[in-house]
Amino acid sequence: MTRLRQLPAIALNESNEMSTRAVIAEADVPYLDVSDPSFSVRSAAVTDARERHWYARTPYGIAVLRYDEVRRLLVDQRLRQGSYAWPALNDATGAFAHWWSRMLLSREGADHARLRRLGNPAFSPRLVTSLKPHFSALANELIDAFAAAGRCEFIADFSEPYASRVICILLGLPHGNWKKFASIAADMGLALGVTFKRDLVRIDAATLSLFDYARELIAQRRALPLGEDFLSLLIKANRESEEVLSEQELLDMVVLAIFGGIDTTRNQLGLAMDLFVRHPAQWALLGTRPQLGRAAVEEVMRVRPTVTWVTREAVEDFDFEGLRIRRGTTLQMFSQAACSDPRAFPDAGFDIAAERKPHFGFGGGAHHCMGHFIARGDMTEALAILAGRLRAPAFDGEPEFMPDSGNTGAIRMPIRFTAGG
Amino acid sequence: MKVKVDSSLCRGHGQCVIAAPEVFRFDENQKLVWVEAPDARLRRAVEEAADVCPEQAITIVGD
Repeated sequence: MTRLRQLPAIALNESNEMSTRAVIAEADVPYLDVSDPSFSVRSAAVTDARERHWYARTPYGIAVLRYDEVRRLLVDQRLRQGSYAWPALNDATGAFAHWWSRMLLSREGADHARLRRLGNPAFSPRLVTSLKPHFSALANELIDAFAAAGRCEFIADFSEPYASRVICILLGLPHGNWKKFASIAADMGLALGVTFKRDLVRIDAATLSLFDYARELIAQRRALPLGEDFLSLLIKANRESEEVLSEQELLDMVVLAIFGGIDTTRNQLGLAMDLFVRHPAQWALLGTRPQLGRAAVEEVMRVRPTVTWVTREAVEDFDFEGLRIRRGTTLQMFSQAACSDPRAFPDAGFDIAAERKPHFGFGGGAHHCMGHFIARGDMTEALAILAGRLRAPAFDGEPEFMPDSGNTGAIRMPIRFTAGG
Repeated sequence: MKVKVDSSLCRGHGQCVIAAPEVFRFDENQKLVWVEAPDARLRRAVEEAADVCPEQAITIVGD
């Protein structure tokens, strides 16, 4: 008790790294340098820190490391979504930064609720159920192209075209556009990486071309009778409801759906394959029991989420588990560390047949990922079909990965396998 | 119509509060409270809330 009471209050309003470090200097609480390019959310340093304390200090605020604390804080209304501050903290301007500041994730309160309500019908589980046969047809078509060879580069040959073409299915587009989408999403995704300053010209060019494309898409869809598809539902929200989705908000939402859908799904499927290559018995199990597809998605996202942390910011001063958290404090919810916390998962090994508590791979609270039904639906189909057709996959060369922090994933993953099914 | 929330599934995301604020709200302790038998005119909003719940914890019984 005494030890906790001695903890200094944390005030991180300043974006200046030096002042932040000075304010939270405290020997008892572990420190994690998440700004180090070699930092890994899966490192022993993180596991050790989690055993010492429920949180660690970082150059950007605190990292919350244990399951129960992350679970409670993710839905705590004294916190707001934290990545809205990304452009300001990084002195970023331009098309991507402006879109980022306007879009759903950066909004709060009544404004955010209005956007969610208007977008909800387009992201409903019913729409996803109707698209499932298209997802499986797509997975099979992609596998057909390389099955006979017994090898593929999993990212270029499967996860990237799959994630991109799922968006074509969702938006009712000819699939010929998928490469353009994939390259735009990849370029915009650079904004969330450590080298974003170097890549800013590319990031903004991609953002502008995606806006042009979204504008064209909406115009084309408006020229036809509206239906119950994704774009129609958003366009109806733009003109029919009591609350109105403005033209700019409609565009921002379509851009978010394309960017958010491709980048994360491509990355998550690559991480899934990495995990299964290392756990062949689990892959064999999924191959014989495809009905475990959904459970496999959940277990992969618990053990190896592409979103390794979720950012929050305190909107008021409050006490939490002995710590005074000041308004403006940044809190990084470490989904990876929390979901391997032995306090919540005594037997935390990768097991798709185990009963598990919910993971935090889709965030939580008011900002819970809006596209999660789509992501869950398309990844379930993909993994179940892959496990049936790609038997005993093994690496066929070293896979390459993005840094193991922030949003992570595989860049390249050559595999060989025995064709089955 | 009766609204049921499975408390073993509910994680307190509050998506229902966003979708149907006339029916669902958080009390001062951030605990979810809801109108158990809402007016029929709120049907669509309640269905939307049930649809959008990330944990699929909400069921609607009867009309």
